[in-house]
Amino acid sequence: MADRAPHDFGKTVINAAALLLVLSYALPYVYLVSTSLKPAADVQQIPPSFFPDGVSLENFATVIGTAGLPNAFLNSAIVAILTTLLSLLIAVPAAYVSALYRRRITVLFLLFALVTRMVPAVSLGVPLFQIMKTLGLLDTTIGLVLAHTSTAVPLALLLMSAFFEGVPKELEEAARMDGCTRFGAFLHIILPLMPSGLAISALFSFIASWNEFLFALLLTSQNSKTAPIVIAEFNSVYGLAWGPMTAAAVLYSLPVILVTLLLQKQIVGGLTFGAVKG
Amino acid sequence: MSERRFVLLMLAPAVLFLGFLVAYPVALLVYNSFFEVELINPSGRIWVGLANYVDALTSKRILETAQRTLRYSVFALCFEFIFGFGAALLFSAIADRSHWHRTIFALPLMISPIVAGLLWRFLLVGDIGILNYGLTALGIIPDPRGINWLSDTDIVIYSVAFADIWLTTSFVALVSYAGLTNIPRDLLEAARIDGANAIKRFWHVTLPLMRPVIAVVVIVRGIDALKTFDLIWIQTQGGPRQASEVFSMNIYQRMVRYGDLGEASASATLFLVFMIVLAGLAYWKIWRTDNG
Repeated sequence: MADRAPHDFGKTVINAAALLLVLSYALPYVYLVSTSLKPAADVQQIPPSFFPDGVSLENFATVIGTAGLPNAFLNSAIVAILTTLLSLLIAVPAAYVSALYRRRITVLFLLFALVTRMVPAVSLGVPLFQIMKTLGLLDTTIGLVLAHTSTAVPLALLLMSAFFEGVPKELEEAARMDGCTRFGAFLHIILPLMPSGLAISALFSFIASWNEFLFALLLTSQNSKTAPIVIAEFNSVYGLAWGPMTAAAVLYSLPVILVTLLLQKQIVGGLTFGAVKG
Repeated sequence: MSERRFVLLMLAPAVLFLGFLVAYPVALLVYNSFFEVELINPSGRIWVGLANYVDALTSKRILETAQRTLRYSVFALCFEFIFGFGAALLFSAIADRSHWHRTIFALPLMISPIVAGLLWRFLLVGDIGILNYGLTALGIIPDPRGINWLSDTDIVIYSVAFADIWLTTSFVALVSYAGLTNIPRDLLEAARIDGANAIKRFWHVTLPLMRPVIAVVVIVRGIDALKTFDLIWIQTQGGPRQASEVFSMNIYQRMVRYGDLGEASASATLFLVFMIVLAGLAYWKIWRTDNG
Protein backbone atom coordinates (compact mmCIF):
# COMPACT_ATOMS: atom_id res chain seq x y z
CA MET A 1 0.00 0.00 0.00
CA ALA A 2 2.86 2.32 0.82
CA ASP A 3 4.08 2.48 -2.75
CA ARG A 4 0.66 3.17 -4.18
CA ALA A 5 1.17 6.90 -4.70
CA PRO A 6 4.49 6.73 -6.59
CA HIS A 7 3.09 3.83 -8.56
CA ASP A 8 0.14 5.94 -9.66
CA PHE A 9 2.50 8.78 -10.43
CA GLY A 10 4.60 6.46 -12.59
CA LYS A 11 1.48 5.30 -14.43
CA THR A 12 0.45 8.88 -15.08
CA VAL A 13 3.86 9.73 -16.52
CA ILE A 14 3.79 6.66 -18.78
CA ASN A 15 0.27 7.46 -19.98
CA ALA A 16 1.20 11.07 -20.65
CA ALA A 17 4.36 10.04 -22.49
CA ALA A 18 2.44 7.55 -24.64
CA LEU A 19 -0.19 10.15 -25.46
CA LEU A 20 2.42 12.77 -26.33
CA LEU A 21 4.28 10.30 -28.51
CA VAL A 22 1.19 9.29 -30.45
CA LEU A 23 0.02 12.88 -30.92
CA SER A 24 3.38 14.10 -32.19
CA TYR A 25 3.56 11.07 -34.46
CA ALA A 26 0.20 11.89 -36.02
CA LEU A 27 0.94 15.61 -36.30
CA PRO A 28 2.77 15.65 -39.67
CA TYR A 29 -0.03 13.85 -41.47
CA VAL A 30 -2.71 16.01 -39.82
CA TYR A 31 -0.79 19.04 -41.08
CA LEU A 32 -0.77 17.60 -44.60
CA VAL A 33 -4.54 17.17 -44.54
CA SER A 34 -5.10 20.57 -42.96
CA THR A 35 -2.89 22.23 -45.59
CA SER A 36 -4.73 20.54 -48.43
CA LEU A 37 -7.97 22.08 -47.09
CA LYS A 38 -6.61 25.64 -47.04
CA PRO A 39 -7.52 28.14 -49.74
CA ALA A 40 -4.74 27.94 -52.34
CA ALA A 41 -3.50 31.47 -51.53
CA ASP A 42 -2.95 30.61 -47.84
CA VAL A 43 -0.86 27.50 -48.41
CA GLN A 44 2.42 29.31 -48.92
CA GLN A 45 1.87 32.14 -46.45
CA ILE A 46 4.73 33.18 -44.17
CA PRO A 47 4.68 32.34 -41.31
CA PRO A 48 2.69 29.14 -41.95
CA SER A 49 -0.34 28.38 -39.81
CA PHE A 50 -1.17 24.90 -38.67
CA PHE A 51 -4.94 25.06 -39.16
CA PRO A 52 -6.77 26.51 -42.15
CA ASP A 53 -8.59 29.84 -41.61
CA GLY A 54 -11.44 28.60 -43.67
CA VAL A 55 -11.96 25.21 -45.24
CA SER A 56 -11.74 25.23 -49.01
CA LEU A 57 -11.71 22.49 -51.60
CA GLU A 58 -9.89 24.71 -54.07
CA ASN A 59 -6.74 22.57 -54.06
CA PHE A 60 -8.72 19.40 -54.68
CA ALA A 61 -10.56 21.09 -57.54
CA THR A 62 -7.20 22.09 -59.08
CA VAL A 63 -5.93 18.53 -58.78
CA ILE A 64 -9.00 16.98 -60.34
CA GLY A 65 -8.93 19.59 -63.08
CA THR A 66 -5.24 19.04 -63.82
CA ALA A 67 -4.77 17.31 -67.13
CA GLY A 68 -3.36 13.88 -66.52
CA LEU A 69 -3.92 13.45 -62.82
CA PRO A 70 -7.34 11.74 -62.76
CA ASN A 71 -6.03 9.62 -65.60
CA ALA A 72 -2.91 8.75 -63.58
CA PHE A 73 -5.06 7.63 -60.64
CA LEU A 74 -7.05 5.47 -63.02
CA ASN A 75 -3.82 4.00 -64.42
CA SER A 76 -2.55 3.32 -60.91
CA ALA A 77 -5.77 1.50 -60.05
CA ILE A 78 -5.75 -0.56 -63.26
CA VAL A 79 -2.09 -1.52 -62.88
CA ALA A 80 -2.56 -2.42 -59.23
CA ILE A 81 -5.67 -4.56 -59.91
CA LEU A 82 -4.04 -6.42 -62.81
CA THR A 83 -0.85 -6.90 -60.80
CA THR A 84 -2.87 -8.35 -57.92
CA LEU A 85 -4.81 -10.77 -60.14
CA LEU A 86 -1.77 -11.89 -62.08
CA SER A 87 0.45 -12.37 -59.04
CA LEU A 88 -2.19 -14.40 -57.19
CA LEU A 89 -2.83 -16.53 -60.26
CA ILE A 90 0.88 -17.32 -60.50
CA ALA A 91 1.80 -17.47 -56.83
CA VAL A 92 -1.10 -19.39 -55.26
CA PRO A 93 -0.59 -22.77 -57.02
CA ALA A 94 3.16 -22.60 -56.40
CA ALA A 95 2.62 -21.71 -52.74
CA TYR A 96 0.17 -24.63 -52.43
CA VAL A 97 2.62 -27.29 -53.57
CA SER A 98 5.46 -25.62 -51.68
CA ALA A 99 3.52 -26.06 -48.45
CA LEU A 100 1.73 -29.38 -49.00
CA TYR A 101 4.19 -31.25 -51.20
CA ARG A 102 7.46 -30.25 -49.61
CA ARG A 103 10.42 -31.64 -51.51
CA ARG A 104 13.79 -30.45 -52.72
CA ILE A 105 12.52 -28.52 -55.73
CA THR A 106 9.90 -26.60 -53.76
CA VAL A 107 12.35 -25.71 -50.99
CA LEU A 108 14.84 -24.46 -53.58
CA PHE A 109 12.07 -22.51 -55.22
CA LEU A 110 11.03 -20.78 -51.98
CA LEU A 111 14.68 -19.94 -51.35
CA PHE A 112 14.86 -18.41 -54.82
CA ALA A 113 11.77 -16.32 -54.04
CA LEU A 114 13.38 -15.18 -50.82
CA VAL A 115 16.59 -14.14 -52.61
CA THR A 116 14.47 -12.31 -55.19
CA ARG A 117 13.17 -10.10 -52.41
CA MET A 118 16.74 -8.88 -51.77
CA VAL A 119 17.27 -7.66 -55.34
CA PRO A 120 17.36 -3.85 -55.32
CA ALA A 121 14.62 -2.44 -57.59
CA VAL A 122 17.15 -0.44 -59.56
CA SER A 123 19.17 -3.57 -60.40
CA LEU A 124 16.04 -5.12 -61.88
CA GLY A 125 14.80 -1.88 -63.42
CA VAL A 126 17.89 -1.26 -65.54
CA PRO A 127 17.63 -4.52 -67.56
CA LEU A 128 13.81 -4.48 -67.50
CA PHE A 129 13.91 -1.19 -69.37
CA GLN A 130 15.89 -2.85 -72.15
CA ILE A 131 13.63 -5.93 -72.21
CA MET A 132 10.43 -3.88 -72.33
CA LYS A 133 11.90 -1.75 -75.08
CA THR A 134 12.72 -4.83 -77.16
CA LEU A 135 9.20 -6.18 -76.62
CA GLY A 136 7.64 -2.82 -77.44
CA LEU A 137 6.10 -2.67 -73.96
CA LEU A 138 7.66 0.59 -72.79
CA ASP A 139 5.03 3.04 -71.57
CA THR A 140 2.26 0.44 -71.65
CA THR A 141 0.03 -0.81 -68.86
CA ILE A 142 1.05 -4.41 -69.59
CA GLY A 143 4.75 -3.60 -69.31
CA LEU A 144 4.32 -1.95 -65.93
CA VAL A 145 2.03 -4.75 -64.69
CA LEU A 146 4.68 -7.33 -65.59
CA ALA A 147 7.36 -5.33 -63.77
CA HIS A 148 5.22 -4.92 -60.66
CA THR A 149 4.22 -8.57 -60.72
CA SER A 150 7.89 -9.58 -60.65
CA THR A 151 8.11 -8.11 -57.14
CA ALA A 152 4.56 -9.02 -56.06
CA VAL A 153 4.87 -12.74 -56.88
CA PRO A 154 7.63 -13.54 -54.33
CA LEU A 155 5.70 -11.58 -51.69
CA ALA A 156 2.38 -13.35 -52.36
CA LEU A 157 4.19 -16.67 -52.64
CA LEU A 158 5.79 -16.42 -49.20
CA LEU A 159 2.60 -15.14 -47.57
CA MET A 160 0.35 -17.78 -49.16
CA SER A 161 2.70 -20.65 -48.41
CA ALA A 162 2.58 -19.63 -44.73
CA PHE A 163 -1.22 -19.79 -44.86
CA PHE A 164 -1.17 -23.17 -46.62
CA GLU A 165 1.24 -24.49 -43.95
CA GLY A 166 -1.77 -24.44 -41.61
CA VAL A 167 -3.74 -26.89 -43.79
CA PRO A 168 -3.48 -30.52 -42.68
CA LYS A 169 -2.30 -32.80 -45.48
CA GLU A 170 -5.03 -35.29 -44.42
CA LEU A 171 -7.65 -32.87 -45.73
CA GLU A 172 -6.24 -33.15 -49.21
CA GLU A 173 -5.97 -36.94 -48.89
CA ALA A 174 -9.59 -37.21 -47.71
CA ALA A 175 -10.78 -35.13 -50.65
CA ARG A 176 -8.94 -37.44 -53.03
CA MET A 177 -10.48 -40.51 -51.37
CA ASP A 178 -13.83 -38.95 -52.24
CA GLY A 179 -12.84 -38.89 -55.86
CA CYS A 180 -11.26 -35.43 -56.28
CA THR A 181 -8.21 -35.10 -58.48
CA ARG A 182 -5.19 -33.40 -56.91
CA PHE A 183 -6.07 -30.23 -58.74
CA GLY A 184 -9.74 -30.58 -57.78
CA ALA A 185 -8.82 -30.92 -54.10
CA PHE A 186 -6.76 -27.75 -54.38
CA LEU A 187 -9.36 -25.73 -56.26
CA HIS A 188 -12.64 -26.93 -54.70
CA ILE A 189 -11.74 -28.05 -51.19
CA ILE A 190 -8.69 -26.23 -49.86
CA LEU A 191 -8.69 -22.89 -51.68
CA PRO A 192 -12.21 -21.99 -50.42
CA LEU A 193 -10.87 -22.40 -46.87
CA MET A 194 -8.35 -19.61 -47.42
CA PRO A 195 -10.35 -16.38 -47.81
CA SER A 196 -8.27 -14.41 -45.31
CA GLY A 197 -4.95 -15.64 -46.73
CA LEU A 198 -6.04 -14.73 -50.24
CA ALA A 199 -7.38 -11.37 -49.09
CA ILE A 200 -4.22 -10.39 -47.25
CA SER A 201 -1.96 -11.51 -50.13
CA ALA A 202 -4.14 -9.57 -52.54
CA LEU A 203 -4.02 -6.50 -50.33
CA PHE A 204 -0.23 -6.57 -50.04
CA SER A 205 0.18 -7.07 -53.80
CA PHE A 206 -2.24 -4.25 -54.52
CA ILE A 207 -0.55 -1.77 -52.18
CA ALA A 208 2.95 -2.74 -53.32
CA SER A 209 1.91 -1.84 -56.86
CA TRP A 210 -0.09 1.25 -55.86
CA ASN A 211 2.93 2.67 -54.00
CA GLU A 212 5.64 1.63 -56.46
CA PHE A 213 7.72 4.45 -57.94
CA LEU A 214 11.02 3.44 -59.52
CA PHE A 215 9.71 0.97 -62.14
CA ALA A 216 6.97 3.42 -63.06
CA LEU A 217 9.57 6.18 -63.44
CA LEU A 218 11.76 4.01 -65.66
CA LEU A 219 9.13 2.27 -67.74
CA THR A 220 6.45 4.90 -68.41
CA SER A 221 6.65 8.26 -70.12
CA GLN A 222 3.32 9.46 -71.53
CA ASN A 223 0.34 7.16 -71.68
CA SER A 224 0.60 4.91 -68.68
CA LYS A 225 2.06 7.17 -66.01
CA THR A 226 0.83 6.31 -62.53
CA ALA A 227 -0.26 8.65 -59.75
CA PRO A 228 3.07 8.90 -57.85
CA ILE A 229 4.89 9.87 -61.06
CA VAL A 230 2.46 12.67 -61.84
CA ILE A 231 2.53 13.85 -58.21
CA ALA A 232 6.33 13.95 -58.36
CA GLU A 233 6.10 15.95 -61.58
CA PHE A 234 4.05 18.66 -59.88
CA ASN A 235 7.45 19.94 -58.75
CA SER A 236 8.83 20.84 -62.10
CA VAL A 237 5.68 21.64 -64.04
CA TYR A 238 4.07 24.11 -61.67
CA GLY A 239 7.06 25.40 -59.75
CA LEU A 240 6.25 24.58 -56.18
CA ALA A 241 2.51 24.25 -56.20
CA TRP A 242 2.24 23.05 -52.63
CA GLY A 243 -1.54 23.42 -52.42
CA PRO A 244 -2.42 20.98 -55.20
CA MET A 245 0.56 18.82 -54.26
CA THR A 246 -0.73 18.28 -50.72
CA ALA A 247 -4.25 17.65 -52.05
CA ALA A 248 -2.89 15.03 -54.48
CA ALA A 249 -0.86 13.41 -51.71
CA VAL A 250 -4.00 13.19 -49.54
CA LEU A 251 -6.04 11.66 -52.37
CA TYR A 252 -3.26 9.19 -53.05
CA SER A 253 -2.71 8.11 -49.44
CA LEU A 254 -6.15 8.35 -47.81
CA PRO A 255 -7.54 5.11 -49.32
CA VAL A 256 -4.47 3.25 -48.08
CA ILE A 257 -4.88 4.70 -44.59
CA LEU A 258 -8.57 3.75 -44.47
CA VAL A 259 -7.75 0.17 -45.49
CA THR A 260 -5.05 0.02 -42.81
CA LEU A 261 -7.56 1.25 -40.26
CA LEU A 262 -10.05 -1.46 -41.20
CA LEU A 263 -7.57 -4.33 -41.46
CA GLN A 264 -4.99 -3.24 -38.90
CA LYS A 265 -4.65 -6.63 -37.24
CA GLN A 266 -4.18 -8.59 -40.46
CA ILE A 267 -1.75 -6.03 -41.87
CA VAL A 268 0.43 -5.99 -38.78
CA GLY A 269 0.32 -9.79 -38.83
CA GLY A 270 1.35 -9.87 -42.49
CA LEU A 271 4.15 -7.37 -41.99
CA THR A 272 5.46 -9.18 -38.93
CA PHE A 273 5.49 -12.34 -40.97
CA GLY A 274 7.11 -10.51 -43.88
CA ALA A 275 9.71 -9.25 -41.45
CA VAL A 276 10.47 -12.76 -40.31
CA LYS A 277 10.60 -14.28 -43.75
CA GLY A 278 12.20 -11.56 -45.73
CA MET B 1 -1.70 -37.56 -62.51
CA SER B 2 1.49 -38.49 -60.71
CA GLU B 3 2.49 -36.49 -57.68
CA ARG B 4 5.67 -35.39 -59.36
CA ARG B 5 3.93 -34.07 -62.44
CA PHE B 6 1.35 -32.28 -60.33
CA VAL B 7 4.05 -30.47 -58.33
CA LEU B 8 5.90 -29.45 -61.48
CA LEU B 9 2.73 -28.24 -63.20
CA MET B 10 1.68 -26.13 -60.21
CA LEU B 11 5.16 -24.61 -59.94
CA ALA B 12 5.57 -24.04 -63.67
CA PRO B 13 3.81 -20.66 -64.05
CA ALA B 14 5.74 -19.13 -61.17
CA VAL B 15 9.04 -20.60 -62.32
CA LEU B 16 8.54 -19.41 -65.89
CA PHE B 17 7.41 -15.98 -64.78
CA LEU B 18 10.21 -15.37 -62.29
CA GLY B 19 12.65 -16.89 -64.75
CA PHE B 20 11.62 -14.45 -67.45
CA LEU B 21 11.17 -11.34 -65.28
CA VAL B 22 13.79 -11.81 -62.55
CA ALA B 23 16.44 -14.37 -63.50
CA TYR B 24 16.72 -13.31 -67.14
CA PRO B 25 16.94 -9.55 -66.35
CA VAL B 26 19.58 -10.25 -63.71
CA ALA B 27 21.55 -12.32 -66.25
CA LEU B 28 21.18 -9.51 -68.79
CA LEU B 29 22.36 -7.01 -66.18
CA VAL B 30 25.52 -8.99 -65.49
CA TYR B 31 26.07 -9.52 -69.25
CA ASN B 32 25.71 -5.79 -69.98
CA SER B 33 28.16 -4.95 -67.24
CA PHE B 34 31.02 -6.39 -69.33
CA PHE B 35 30.33 -4.13 -72.30
CA GLU B 36 30.59 -0.54 -73.25
CA VAL B 37 27.00 -0.07 -74.29
CA GLU B 38 24.70 2.92 -74.68
CA LEU B 39 21.06 2.96 -73.63
CA ILE B 40 19.87 4.40 -76.94
CA ASN B 41 21.72 1.77 -78.98
CA PRO B 42 22.04 -1.47 -76.99
CA SER B 43 23.05 -3.53 -80.03
CA GLY B 44 26.22 -1.54 -80.74
CA ARG B 45 28.26 -3.00 -77.91
CA ILE B 46 31.99 -3.36 -77.31
CA TRP B 47 33.40 -5.99 -74.96
CA VAL B 48 35.47 -4.29 -72.26
CA GLY B 49 35.87 -7.08 -69.72
CA LEU B 50 36.05 -5.78 -66.18
CA ALA B 51 36.69 -2.16 -67.17
CA ASN B 52 33.27 -1.00 -65.97
CA TYR B 53 33.90 -2.57 -62.59
CA VAL B 54 37.33 -0.94 -62.36
CA ASP B 55 35.75 2.40 -63.27
CA ALA B 56 32.99 1.93 -60.68
CA LEU B 57 35.34 0.94 -57.89
CA THR B 58 37.76 3.79 -58.59
CA SER B 59 35.18 6.52 -59.23
CA LYS B 60 35.23 9.15 -56.52
CA ARG B 61 31.56 9.97 -56.99
CA ILE B 62 30.45 6.36 -56.67
CA LEU B 63 32.53 5.73 -53.57
CA GLU B 64 31.19 8.92 -52.01
CA THR B 65 27.67 7.81 -52.88
CA ALA B 66 28.26 4.41 -51.30
CA GLN B 67 29.56 6.00 -48.10
CA ARG B 68 26.66 8.43 -48.05
CA THR B 69 24.18 5.58 -48.47
CA LEU B 70 25.72 3.83 -45.47
CA ARG B 71 25.63 6.99 -43.34
CA TYR B 72 22.01 7.59 -44.32
CA SER B 73 21.03 4.00 -43.50
CA VAL B 74 22.79 3.90 -40.15
CA PHE B 75 21.33 7.27 -39.14
CA ALA B 76 17.78 6.33 -40.16
CA LEU B 77 18.02 2.88 -38.63
CA CYS B 78 19.30 4.14 -35.26
CA PHE B 79 16.46 6.61 -34.83
CA GLU B 80 13.79 4.27 -36.15
CA PHE B 81 14.96 1.69 -33.73
CA ILE B 82 15.18 3.99 -30.70
CA PHE B 83 11.79 5.59 -31.36
CA GLY B 84 10.09 2.37 -32.43
CA PHE B 85 11.41 0.23 -29.62
CA GLY B 86 10.76 3.01 -27.10
CA ALA B 87 7.18 3.31 -28.33
CA ALA B 88 6.72 -0.47 -28.09
CA LEU B 89 7.95 -0.44 -24.47
CA LEU B 90 5.56 2.40 -23.63
CA PHE B 91 2.65 0.60 -25.28
CA SER B 92 3.41 -2.61 -23.46
CA ALA B 93 3.65 -0.68 -20.17
CA ILE B 94 0.04 0.44 -20.61
CA ALA B 95 -0.80 -2.88 -22.27
CA ASP B 96 -4.59 -3.16 -22.46
CA ARG B 97 -5.15 0.57 -22.83
CA SER B 98 -2.77 0.97 -25.77
CA HIS B 99 -5.28 -0.12 -28.42
CA TRP B 100 -5.92 3.38 -29.79
CA HIS B 101 -2.27 4.34 -29.54
CA ARG B 102 -1.35 1.34 -31.63
CA THR B 103 -4.11 2.02 -34.15
CA ILE B 104 -2.80 5.53 -34.77
CA PHE B 105 0.73 4.19 -34.98
CA ALA B 106 -0.38 1.65 -37.58
CA LEU B 107 -1.81 4.23 -39.96
CA PRO B 108 1.44 5.13 -41.78
CA LEU B 109 2.34 1.43 -42.23
CA MET B 110 1.24 1.23 -45.85
CA ILE B 111 1.70 4.87 -46.88
CA SER B 112 3.85 5.31 -49.97
CA PRO B 113 7.39 6.69 -49.46
CA ILE B 114 6.43 9.30 -52.05
CA VAL B 115 3.82 10.74 -49.69
CA ALA B 116 6.14 10.63 -46.69
CA GLY B 117 8.88 12.36 -48.69
CA LEU B 118 6.55 15.02 -50.02
CA LEU B 119 5.12 15.64 -46.58
CA TRP B 120 8.51 16.05 -44.91
CA ARG B 121 9.80 18.21 -47.70
CA PHE B 122 6.85 20.49 -47.02
CA LEU B 123 7.67 20.51 -43.29
CA LEU B 124 11.34 21.35 -43.91
CA VAL B 125 11.38 23.46 -47.05
CA GLY B 126 12.77 27.01 -47.22
CA ASP B 127 10.56 29.83 -45.94
CA ILE B 128 7.35 27.89 -45.42
CA GLY B 129 8.65 24.82 -43.59
CA ILE B 130 6.66 24.76 -40.38
CA LEU B 131 9.24 22.74 -38.44
CA ASN B 132 11.62 25.69 -38.15
CA TYR B 133 8.78 27.91 -36.91
CA GLY B 134 8.00 25.31 -34.29
CA LEU B 135 11.65 25.09 -33.24
CA THR B 136 11.84 28.89 -33.07
CA ALA B 137 8.73 29.04 -30.90
CA LEU B 138 10.30 26.49 -28.56
CA GLY B 139 13.47 28.59 -28.41
CA ILE B 140 15.66 25.85 -29.92
CA ILE B 141 16.81 27.90 -32.89
CA PRO B 142 16.97 31.72 -32.96
CA ASP B 143 14.94 32.34 -36.11
CA PRO B 144 13.04 30.30 -38.72
CA ARG B 145 15.83 30.63 -41.25
CA GLY B 146 18.32 29.19 -38.78
CA ILE B 147 18.62 25.77 -40.39
CA ASN B 148 18.43 25.09 -44.12
CA TRP B 149 17.51 21.44 -43.82
CA LEU B 150 17.30 20.62 -47.51
CA SER B 151 19.75 23.10 -49.04
CA ASP B 152 22.71 22.79 -46.68
CA THR B 153 25.01 20.21 -48.29
CA ASP B 154 26.47 19.20 -44.92
CA ILE B 155 23.21 18.07 -43.36
CA VAL B 156 20.85 17.31 -46.24
CA ILE B 157 21.54 13.57 -46.24
CA TYR B 158 20.36 13.43 -42.62
CA SER B 159 17.41 15.77 -43.18
CA VAL B 160 16.00 13.54 -45.91
CA ALA B 161 16.11 10.64 -43.45
CA PHE B 162 13.46 12.29 -41.24
CA ALA B 163 10.73 11.13 -43.62
CA ASP B 164 12.07 7.58 -43.49
CA ILE B 165 12.25 7.67 -39.71
CA TRP B 166 8.70 8.98 -39.46
CA LEU B 167 7.34 6.47 -41.94
CA THR B 168 8.92 3.31 -40.55
CA THR B 169 9.01 3.93 -36.80
CA SER B 170 5.51 2.48 -36.81
CA PHE B 171 6.73 -0.75 -38.37
CA VAL B 172 9.51 -1.12 -35.80
CA ALA B 173 7.12 -0.23 -32.97
CA LEU B 174 4.39 -2.70 -33.93
CA VAL B 175 6.70 -5.60 -34.71
CA SER B 176 8.58 -4.98 -31.43
CA TYR B 177 5.28 -4.74 -29.57
CA ALA B 178 4.25 -8.12 -30.97
CA GLY B 179 7.57 -9.50 -29.73
CA LEU B 180 7.15 -7.97 -26.29
CA THR B 181 3.69 -9.47 -25.82
CA ASN B 182 5.20 -12.90 -26.46
CA ILE B 183 7.52 -12.66 -23.46
CA PRO B 184 6.09 -14.94 -20.76
CA ARG B 185 4.66 -12.89 -17.87
CA ASP B 186 5.88 -15.37 -15.24
CA LEU B 187 9.51 -14.85 -16.26
CA LEU B 188 9.26 -11.12 -15.54
CA GLU B 189 7.27 -11.85 -12.38
CA ALA B 190 9.87 -14.33 -11.14
CA ALA B 191 12.64 -11.80 -11.73
CA ARG B 192 10.63 -9.27 -9.78
CA ILE B 193 10.19 -11.61 -6.84
CA ASP B 194 13.95 -12.21 -6.93
CA GLY B 195 14.33 -8.47 -6.36
CA ALA B 196 15.30 -7.28 -9.85
CA ASN B 197 14.21 -3.68 -10.47
CA ALA B 198 12.65 -2.51 -13.73
CA ILE B 199 15.99 -1.68 -15.38
CA LYS B 200 17.51 -5.04 -14.42
CA ARG B 201 14.41 -6.89 -15.62
CA PHE B 202 14.65 -5.06 -18.93
CA TRP B 203 18.36 -5.74 -19.31
CA HIS B 204 18.47 -9.37 -18.20
CA VAL B 205 15.05 -10.71 -19.22
CA THR B 206 13.37 -8.57 -21.88
CA LEU B 207 16.37 -7.68 -24.02
CA PRO B 208 17.84 -11.19 -24.38
CA LEU B 209 14.40 -12.63 -25.24
CA MET B 210 13.85 -9.86 -27.80
CA ARG B 211 17.13 -10.54 -29.56
CA PRO B 212 15.69 -12.45 -32.53
CA VAL B 213 12.96 -9.83 -33.09
CA ILE B 214 15.49 -7.01 -32.87
CA ALA B 215 17.81 -8.79 -35.29
CA VAL B 216 15.03 -9.28 -37.84
CA VAL B 217 13.84 -5.68 -37.56
CA VAL B 218 17.37 -4.34 -38.01
CA ILE B 219 18.05 -6.54 -41.03
CA VAL B 220 14.76 -5.85 -42.80
CA ARG B 221 14.88 -2.12 -42.16
CA GLY B 222 18.61 -1.92 -42.89
CA ILE B 223 18.18 -3.55 -46.28
CA ASP B 224 15.25 -1.27 -47.11
CA ALA B 225 17.23 1.81 -46.10
CA LEU B 226 20.19 0.83 -48.28
CA LYS B 227 17.82 0.42 -51.25
CA THR B 228 16.06 3.79 -50.73
CA PHE B 229 15.24 5.71 -53.89
CA ASP B 230 11.80 7.33 -54.08
CA LEU B 231 11.71 8.84 -50.61
CA ILE B 232 14.85 10.93 -51.26
CA TRP B 233 14.11 11.48 -54.93
CA ILE B 234 10.89 13.32 -54.17
CA GLN B 235 12.59 15.51 -51.56
CA THR B 236 15.77 16.60 -53.31
CA GLN B 237 16.35 14.52 -56.47
CA GLY B 238 19.75 13.86 -54.91
CA GLY B 239 20.70 17.54 -54.68
CA PRO B 240 21.98 20.06 -53.89
CA ARG B 241 25.13 19.16 -55.83
CA GLN B 242 24.64 15.40 -55.27
CA ALA B 243 24.83 15.91 -51.52
CA SER B 244 21.87 13.59 -50.99
CA GLU B 245 22.51 11.16 -53.85
CA VAL B 246 22.31 7.56 -52.67
CA PHE B 247 23.45 4.43 -54.49
CA SER B 248 20.17 3.53 -56.26
CA MET B 249 19.91 7.10 -57.46
CA ASN B 250 23.44 7.14 -58.77
CA ILE B 251 22.72 4.03 -60.86
CA TYR B 252 19.47 5.55 -62.13
CA GLN B 253 21.19 8.81 -63.06
CA ARG B 254 24.00 7.10 -64.92
CA MET B 255 21.55 5.04 -66.89
CA VAL B 256 18.85 7.63 -67.64
CA ARG B 257 20.72 10.92 -67.70
CA TYR B 258 24.05 9.76 -69.12
CA GLY B 259 22.70 6.73 -71.00
CA ASP B 260 25.67 4.65 -69.89
CA LEU B 261 24.05 1.22 -69.69
CA GLY B 262 27.36 -0.63 -69.23
CA GLU B 263 28.56 1.31 -66.21
CA ALA B 264 25.12 1.49 -64.66
CA SER B 265 24.88 -2.29 -65.01
CA ALA B 266 28.26 -2.83 -63.36
CA SER B 267 27.28 -0.71 -60.35
CA ALA B 268 23.86 -2.36 -60.19
CA THR B 269 25.52 -5.79 -60.22
CA LEU B 270 27.87 -4.82 -57.39
CA PHE B 271 24.88 -3.47 -55.48
CA LEU B 272 22.92 -6.68 -56.03
CA VAL B 273 25.78 -8.93 -54.94
CA PHE B 274 26.41 -6.77 -51.87
CA MET B 275 22.75 -6.90 -50.80
CA ILE B 276 22.43 -10.66 -51.27
CA VAL B 277 25.66 -11.35 -49.40
CA LEU B 278 24.63 -9.00 -46.60
CA ALA B 279 21.17 -10.53 -46.28
CA GLY B 280 22.61 -14.04 -46.51
CA LEU B 281 25.12 -13.36 -43.73
CA ALA B 282 22.47 -11.80 -41.56
CA TYR B 283 19.99 -14.64 -41.99
CA TRP B 284 22.67 -17.24 -41.53
CA LYS B 285 23.62 -15.59 -38.27
CA ILE B 286 20.05 -15.48 -36.99
CA TRP B 287 19.43 -19.02 -38.13
CA ARG B 288 22.55 -20.17 -36.29
CA THR B 289 21.59 -18.37 -33.08
CA ASP B 290 18.07 -19.77 -33.28
CA ASN B 291 19.37 -23.28 -33.69
CA GLY B 292 22.35 -23.07 -31.40
